[in-house]
Amino acid sequence: MAQANIELQKIGAGGAPLTQKRESLWQDALRRLVRNRAAVLGGIIVFLLILMAISAPLIAVKSYETQVLTDENKAPEWVVALFPTMKSYVKISADYPLGADYVGRDIFSRIVYGARVSLTVAFIGPLISLIIGVIYGAVSGYFGGRVDNIMMRIVDVLYAFPSILFIILLMAFFRSTLTNLQPGTLAYALSQLDARMGGLLFIFIGIGMTSWQTMARLTRGQVLAAREKEYIEAARTIGAGNLRIMFRHILPNVVGPLVVAETLAIPSYISTEAFLSFIGLGVNPPTPSWGSMISDGATVIRSYPHQALFPALALAITMFAFNFLGDGLRDALDPRLRGTQ
Amino acid sequence: MRKFYVIAGLSIILSLVFSGCDALGGQPAELKTLHVNSGGAGDIPTIDPAIAEDVTAITVIESTFIGLTQINEVTSLLEPGMATEWDEVINADGTQTITFHLRDDVPWVQWNDTKVEIVKDCAGKDRMVTADDFAYGIYRNLLPANASPYGYLLSFVLKGAAEFNDGDTEDFSTVGVEVIDDTTIALTFLEPAAYNAQISGLWVARPQPKWVIDGDDCTEAQGEKWTEPGSFQSYGPYTMSEWLHDSSMTLVKNPFWPGTDSVPQAKIDIVEIAMLDPVPAFAEYEAGNIDAAAVPLADIDRVKADPELSKELVIAPNLCTYFYGFNTTAPVVEDVRVRRALSMAIDRQGLIDNVLKGEQEPAQWFARPGLAGAPTMDTHPDLGVKSDPEAAKALLDEYLEETGQKAEDLDLTLVFNTSADHQKIAEALQQMWADNLGVNVKLVNQEWAVFLETIKGAATPQIWRLGWCLDYPDANNFLREVCAANGSSNPYDEAGNPAGGFFWNNDEFEDLMKQAAIETDPDKRLEMYARAEEILVYEDAVMIPIYWYTRVTVTKPYIIRTFSVGGHELYYKWDITSE
Amino acid sequence: MGRYIIRRLIYIFVVVIFVSLITFGLMHAVPGGPFSREKALPKETIAILNARYHLDDPLWKQYTHYVYEVLVPHITTTPPTTSLMDDYLISVNLGPTWFRWMNFGPSYRSRSRTVNDIFRDNLPVSAQLGTMALVIAILIGMPLGIMAALKQNTIFDYLGMAISIFGVSVPAIVLGPILVWLFGVALQWFPVTGWGAKPPYLLGLLPTNFGWDYFKYAIMPSVALGLGSSAVIARLTRASLLQTVREDYIRTARAKGLTERMVILGHALKNSLIPVVTILGPLFAALVTGTFVTETIFGIPGMGRYFITSITNRDYPVIMGTILLYAVLLVFANLAVDIVYAYLDPRIRYD
Repeated sequence: MAQANIELQKIGAGGAPLTQKRESLWQDALRRLVRNRAAVLGGIIVFLLILMAISAPLIAVKSYETQVLTDENKAPEWVVALFPTMKSYVKISADYPLGADYVGRDIFSRIVYGARVSLTVAFIGPLISLIIGVIYGAVSGYFGGRVDNIMMRIVDVLYAFPSILFIILLMAFFRSTLTNLQPGTLAYALSQLDARMGGLLFIFIGIGMTSWQTMARLTRGQVLAAREKEYIEAARTIGAGNLRIMFRHILPNVVGPLVVAETLAIPSYISTEAFLSFIGLGVNPPTPSWGSMISDGATVIRSYPHQALFPALALAITMFAFNFLGDGLRDALDPRLRGTQ
Repeated sequence: MRKFYVIAGLSIILSLVFSGCDALGGQPAELKTLHVNSGGAGDIPTIDPAIAEDVTAITVIESTFIGLTQINEVTSLLEPGMATEWDEVINADGTQTITFHLRDDVPWVQWNDTKVEIVKDCAGKDRMVTADDFAYGIYRNLLPANASPYGYLLSFVLKGAAEFNDGDTEDFSTVGVEVIDDTTIALTFLEPAAYNAQISGLWVARPQPKWVIDGDDCTEAQGEKWTEPGSFQSYGPYTMSEWLHDSSMTLVKNPFWPGTDSVPQAKIDIVEIAMLDPVPAFAEYEAGNIDAAAVPLADIDRVKADPELSKELVIAPNLCTYFYGFNTTAPVVEDVRVRRALSMAIDRQGLIDNVLKGEQEPAQWFARPGLAGAPTMDTHPDLGVKSDPEAAKALLDEYLEETGQKAEDLDLTLVFNTSADHQKIAEALQQMWADNLGVNVKLVNQEWAVFLETIKGAATPQIWRLGWCLDYPDANNFLREVCAANGSSNPYDEAGNPAGGFFWNNDEFEDLMKQAAIETDPDKRLEMYARAEEILVYEDAVMIPIYWYTRVTVTKPYIIRTFSVGGHELYYKWDITSE
Repeated sequence: MGRYIIRRLIYIFVVVIFVSLITFGLMHAVPGGPFSREKALPKETIAILNARYHLDDPLWKQYTHYVYEVLVPHITTTPPTTSLMDDYLISVNLGPTWFRWMNFGPSYRSRSRTVNDIFRDNLPVSAQLGTMALVIAILIGMPLGIMAALKQNTIFDYLGMAISIFGVSVPAIVLGPILVWLFGVALQWFPVTGWGAKPPYLLGLLPTNFGWDYFKYAIMPSVALGLGSSAVIARLTRASLLQTVREDYIRTARAKGLTERMVILGHALKNSLIPVVTILGPLFAALVTGTFVTETIFGIPGMGRYFITSITNRDYPVIMGTILLYAVLLVFANLAVDIVYAYLDPRIRYD
């Protein structure tokens, strides 16, 4: 949303009369978005989540990585009341608001810090796919003809890949370079950076590299439609270059649907991260992520249901928020819905 | 249409009549069926004794093919198998020949869709298990084209086997295997080692049906597919009747196995082995569909607290050792004081009580008690390495002072293969090192195939994880085959220099290994291995022994069973009492 | 239409070739080989294995050999042998000669099986499970989506979407064990693990025992697998239907005085199906090729596990076989989707 507004101001500064009208479109969209209570709620939750991730050190009093082995699997009273079957074996303790995990780490702190990983994935993943996809799709759609044909066939090939497998192969390839490569090479530098980021970098790259194709298709379609419009013809006649036309005139007009599509895709990025954790290719310990907490918790779900439940709940709330926000955005931005409500 | 119904009705009646006849024909009203789970999810890669390598495959082989000798699954003592007796002779050139005298009353059998049948040869006579079959089994295990992952077990001890296995010669007669007659086979070993008779009985030296694999006048050659149901033949207390790949394998009782003191006839008629992940397998146990299962780590507390399950719980020893190895040439850990400090700084009992929970034993050395020749906590309570955080801190401080570094600046990386359980242990130890020594050890996990390559090459990380389980119950299988020069975790290059793993060479250790192998006095042998352990885990501290395994299992109360220390259950010794 | 399909088939062929090339390159670039062992095999043994599986050839030669074995039909006079190197998916006896086609090679890990064996035994199970999951996904997803759209911004809308988002956000990793425990162990309504049918399959694909004995095994895993997809379908249906009901021709239909039900069921629904159908293609390919998590939790002998384990085992022929299978299913599913388009939206014409 914020991003789109920036684009808008730039165009406004350009002084093209058309953008005056577009601004009102955005205002209209905003008005309708605000009226959509579910979307507003979603937006508020996303905002709160971001706030929580940023101020994690203030909220999480306990360390997310300090283990107290003797406190393993402890649970507070109310959790035991919720799952009475735990009563006979669980160690009850009020020290941990949501209990402790298998090596005695505070689950609450891990969820709070885990929001950082999950939200980073939720934002950076789409950003990578947006950047690659939009540029690719824009070039393809703008030039059309043979270029378009070849570029789209490449997308089709990549699209036919099971993306999870592609990520697994990529991760195995990247991760193995950590110890097997000589310092000084690019791969070595990347793997060092990955280690610093707790294994996040390759997750981003993997997810980004496998998800931009949809964006590329969408952008291409939008660009194809937009370039036949009169204002593009007008720009061309006054001698604007290809690049200028594409980035100044076409892209700003197609960015709305793309942002919406990405917002709606965010839950799938978060679940991809969870799946990678399940098969052991997620973040490096002790970096907490909801995905790794859920997959760890799922193996103990019979004995300690709270260990999977709370991170899953956090994930569900986040998904709800992003979904409602995304749906709201789409409904608000859909030109055919203008004036309704 | 009416006609159809009549025919259908008739066929139903007929089938009822015939199945009724079948029931009258001597079949017991109810067959005893045992339901168990295999080692984990996924298909058993093969049950061909020549190339088998995983626990489930070897478990199946232990029940379907019997070796020359048997190792008692509980006591680890040597017992007669297919050989009723054997003579050991030391030859003039220092080699040892063991002559095995075989039973002559064991026929090959096959499941033919309805019952177990004796296999007939081309002349229509029963095929009996002969010395030739054993020689053929050893031949297939060593044949380079079969690429047996466990070819090294025999090539290590059997005369001429290494040359044949390496492809230096294609003449199998150069290998120390001599068939004297149908019931006599002589094996010649490189040295008179204590474990020769044990290795002779392992799954790598079991008979295989040559006529099925290579074909003969009356049998079509099946090649690598001979282990599929329909062509599979065996002779032990069980034979395989069904193999639903990725799903289950069924063993049926072989009534033609004569039954001996050490290998009795099976009491249970059918053994169904499911191929499930341990977590769903335990759910099946709780639902009452599996009779014996491993308890997943996460459920141990619940099982111990449950009034029913706790009675069914048995924690049995398992002859494996979990350890971290050092690359003794890598920065920081090239100093023995750092290695020893890291080893002494971990609280093994704390790890066991709070993370592993399976009543494992803290490992003070590598070759765990229970193996022949290995020290025990009774004989050597103070051997090896013990947890001592203060002494560890002192050692590390000494090193830090000498090199002018700070503990938190030390760059240390531990690499382990991707697995939730390895990760839990690594995370716990990472914390202990931070608490007790102030060092930050980075954790990196790699996928198994990448990991194996990583820890065998020049770029072996500073600290790496492995576990070792027995192939045969002797300290030699641990100390020499893993740690000595060119052992599996201490590989050497062509020129004979350390090239991976520990990157380690210690002449005293090497000498001890060679002497202990052929030492006949058990007490002296024990002391040699004890000394070797002291070098390995304390003086040179090339590894951190962490714990000795146990198996945490639950078994339904109506099952009578044994607990194999090697993990290969012998189902023919189990029974089901009336529920 | 005919010409269009032929063009698409040629194009599918090209896509599959490229997918195979990329997979081939990538899997050989990843370190670790199929014969890595804790106790390293002797160099001589590895050399023999490499020679047997042609792994000592240059990569381009290995690749062309693979493509030749898979793609080019063989017409020979030699009858099939039991050798694992000699297992063709299609093998027809034409009198003195044999027509043999598609040899995906032996599995390096399962020493008595070929990739074709895995296709024959495991693919039918995944296909059955995947189809049922897809049916469940549609049966739950479409009504939810329609209800949410028709009652937009009411409690029904929010509730419907809440249920569907619950579906996506509770992954099978969590839902599976809960189902197992509740309905398998505690209530004992359904078997905990396993699959109700075993080979040989009817037409190589279908179970021979359609009945409770079969379906009782399928219910829990199909729900666990289908619930996530149902959410996707519900959201798409809702969005698409919302858009369609505002089209001019719907207004016209309303203006003509048709009842709301007639308008929705007769006009809007059919047209709003297009985006839903689009997603069904990839969904079908993903579900039918199996899923690792569901198959592991419910102990189902499907394809899903091979996608993951073949990579960890560096079982090259199985990696190639499974990825190609996925790619082929996906492109054909997409072709089918495009053909269905033409039926749903008369404005779309292919030429």
